Amino acid sequence: MEGIVATGLIGISLGAQYALLALGFTLIFGILGVVNFAHGGFYVLGGYLAYSAVTYLGVPYALAVIAAALGTTALGYLFERFVLDRVIDDHLATLMLTLGLYLMMSSGFLVLFGPQSPAFSFPLTGVLRGHGFYVPIENLVVLVVCLVGILLIYALIYHTDFGRALRALADDRAVATAQGLRPKLLFPTAFALATGLAGLTGALVTPILSLAPHVGDPVLATSFLIVILGGLGSIGGATVAAFIVGMVEAFSAVYLGGSKGALALFVLVLIMLVVRPSGLFGHRVRGA
Amino acid sequence: MEITRRNLLLASAAIGASSVASRPSALAAEPELKLGVVGVLSGPAAQWGLALKGAVEFVAAEANRDRLVKIDGAPCQVSVVAIDSKYTAEGAAAAANTLAGQGVKFIIGPIGSPELTGLKPIGKRNSMLVMGNGYAKDALGPQWPLVFHVGPGPSGWADPIIKIAKQKFGIKSVVLVAPNDQGGTDIASVDADAYKKNGIAATEEYYQRGTTNFAPIVTRIMNAKPEAVDLASSPPGDAGIMVKQLRQAGFEGPIGRLGGPGYGEISRVAGGDAVLKDFYWYEPVLVDEKVQLIADEYKKLFGAERPENNLFFQWVSGARMVVKAIAKAGTITDTEKVAQALRGLPVDDPNIGSGHWIGQAFFGINQELSFPFGVGLVTNGQLQPIVPVEAATGK
Repeated sequence: MEGIVATGLIGISLGAQYALLALGFTLIFGILGVVNFAHGGFYVLGGYLAYSAVTYLGVPYALAVIAAALGTTALGYLFERFVLDRVIDDHLATLMLTLGLYLMMSSGFLVLFGPQSPAFSFPLTGVLRGHGFYVPIENLVVLVVCLVGILLIYALIYHTDFGRALRALADDRAVATAQGLRPKLLFPTAFALATGLAGLTGALVTPILSLAPHVGDPVLATSFLIVILGGLGSIGGATVAAFIVGMVEAFSAVYLGGSKGALALFVLVLIMLVVRPSGLFGHRVRGA
Repeated sequence: MEITRRNLLLASAAIGASSVASRPSALAAEPELKLGVVGVLSGPAAQWGLALKGAVEFVAAEANRDRLVKIDGAPCQVSVVAIDSKYTAEGAAAAANTLAGQGVKFIIGPIGSPELTGLKPIGKRNSMLVMGNGYAKDALGPQWPLVFHVGPGPSGWADPIIKIAKQKFGIKSVVLVAPNDQGGTDIASVDADAYKKNGIAATEEYYQRGTTNFAPIVTRIMNAKPEAVDLASSPPGDAGIMVKQLRQAGFEGPIGRLGGPGYGEISRVAGGDAVLKDFYWYEPVLVDEKVQLIADEYKKLFGAERPENNLFFQWVSGARMVVKAIAKAGTITDTEKVAQALRGLPVDDPNIGSGHWIGQAFFGINQELSFPFGVGLVTNGQLQPIVPVEAATGK
């Protein structure tokens, strides 16, 4: 029982991090119809921006996290506005552009910061211990920030005019545009919001795990897996799937081992794709 | 004849070919020995490849300065051709093919097991002599008579390190953790055998390469209640996260890493030596004053600091052995003759020290260079001086 509680806590912690990442990924697909291969790159960029702010500018960590989120938001806005927007309806072109951006970012990190992980630690240390379980305080802080972030995204998408406009564009761009909505303004903003989420997650999570030029690779793979499981473009689906993936990953790794655990996750996704090809909440796939 | 683009190209090619054929060859006056370097020069492991490349360039510069290689009495110019293997089997195979196309007969590298696996068939087909690395169980073998190892794998050094760790920490049980591919399983399983031979109960745990959060694996390890954990060949970034998460989970025992250097990065990622607490690892070269002279010499020759990674020194000793064998054999084309000369050379380096040829028992062929090495130790959160260990023998 104690082991189940401890493993469940790990699963929730993983799920919250994955949800914040996958929300950005699915937002971009749902609204713009773009599969953003640079998503992992923005995660790493968030980490390096926070690291640079703390290390070279002496900025407190909390402010560095905000700076990293703003920095990745700004870069995402500029990239969509001046590069992606020109070919936004050409899926192959957007795929190549985002992939190209990721390769440029990875190489840039390597040149600027070298291949090894720098010393970048979370400012709060310590572990809360209970009967048969433990929670590192840093994980607890990240969990709270992630849950707040998820709630804010929900509020933004479902309870504001901005969110309604984005959902309208995702449902039917032609009709939404005829109603006066402006994709040229809203698309870069949506893209920036998503990259900002990736940057925020990177700034929060890399000091807990590690920061290196290529730590974005598995982030992209996990985000992909989650949005496919949840249904491409579905915000609710991505959130639910993120927690399912977190739980499956934790329980399967603890009780089956690292290799079989990874296999269990892929088997689950495979079964889901066979039984329900559009994912858990597939009906929300964009129609634009 | 009609002047077409095709005819013009053909005529140009013919003129070019005839001028090359008729020109008295300047190169023939001074034979050129090309040393091929196949290593990872990009991506997260680039530092290892840059150490390899820097080492071979250093040895080539040394050989040219001292006129070490002579063919039929004529000094031979040594040059280096380096190709990025991208740390993949196919990258290394493509690099070997490219080198074969350029007439290169000697390859220093590659570094990892997958690369060596990809490169060996190409090397064999083109009779190339390979001085490589890679801890795979089949890295060497009688079927690859021209493949040599620049340093021993875990079959050579695991036993003496475990003896030191056992004496220091009194370990009775250990869990070994490594990625679930050849780069992990081939090292962890050999390490596990060495622990068992020393009376330490050992179990193996493997994880999917690319795992970023090891909290579930750590929980599984904690459930096994081991006295020690060995991170084997887990990459330094992964190893650092695992150390940190093990300590957070309340693990108090010693942690080892019998898989290669990387202490600095592991310590940084984990949060410092205080988090490492009790930690031991394999250090391929003990960098003392004599070894440091190589770095000073490098600076004199190239006007720059030597590549950061300490594997640089190991590659210098390996490349020097190859150049010595070429000089002894007196040929830059007959690799079998050079291999014969190499096998007959005493394992000796003016800076690194003396050692032995080993590998017969484990690989079935005695083609593994074994020089003195070191064991790194952190005890009670304090970094200790590297413990020097004599070159591994017997295996």
